[in-house]
Amino acid sequence: MTTPTPRVLLPSGATKGEVFQVRTLISHQMETGLRHDKQGRVIPRKIINRFACRYGGVEVFSVDLHEAVSANPYIEFYLLAMESGRLEFLWEEDGGSIYRLEHQLAVA
Amino acid sequence: MGFTRREMLVTGGVGCAALANAWFSPANAAEKAEKDDTAEFVARQMGRAATESARLHLTMPAVFPTGYTVPMDLKVDSPMTEDDHVKRISVFAPQNPLIDVASFNFVPRRSVPRVSTRIRLAKPQFVVAVAEMGDGTLLMAKTYVDVATNGCI
Repeated sequence: MTTPTPRVLLPSGATKGEVFQVRTLISHQMETGLRHDKQGRVIPRKIINRFACRYGGVEVFSVDLHEAVSANPYIEFYLLAMESGRLEFLWEEDGGSIYRLEHQLAVA
Repeated sequence: MGFTRREMLVTGGVGCAALANAWFSPANAAEKAEKDDTAEFVARQMGRAATESARLHLTMPAVFPTGYTVPMDLKVDSPMTEDDHVKRISVFAPQNPLIDVASFNFVPRRSVPRVSTRIRLAKPQFVVAVAEMGDGTLLMAKTYVDVATNGCI
């Protein structure tokens, strides 16, 4: 499996007090642990189990994902533009791997 | 004496339409056939009862061709003040082999309680969302989704 690649789509700037949309996607099989291979063995569970968004160091949104989230998890959420700063996005995988993306937001 | 061919055609057409209507009313048939024990299910999961609330919007298609990637929108009407905010929204699919779907966490003042994602459903069922408010009250909403394929295998 290739390395899970995260993507984020959001505006680079917003006006103070504005609600803006953030769209995230990460390429990931989200193996549920319910499937079997050709030899009949169970393919072990391996999913992205957590997503979090930190805005200016404060975690403002997070998701606990379980097996019922579709492969290539798409999470669309909304943020309140408060101050210019850094947005950090992280995806945690079963086994401890963490995938990150960062984005600078300019708030007028 | 004797029906005209036009009369035969019309009678036949009406008869077919009546049959088709009885055959193809999936939503009504399914909702009546399935016992709706969602409230009891939520009480078991959360340890206390939740009230169905129109403030919690759970929007999913009523019918969807695949169970692998069914869109789901969630929204709560809340000012997100310290006194009135939503902390967490948990989503369950009671007929899936693994019933937990996802939980979304918010903080007062800074978060916007609105999210969309795509989920897997094993069979047609009520998907249920439970919102835990800042003061501990539970709101719930459910919606019936008829999927054509099992998205969990």
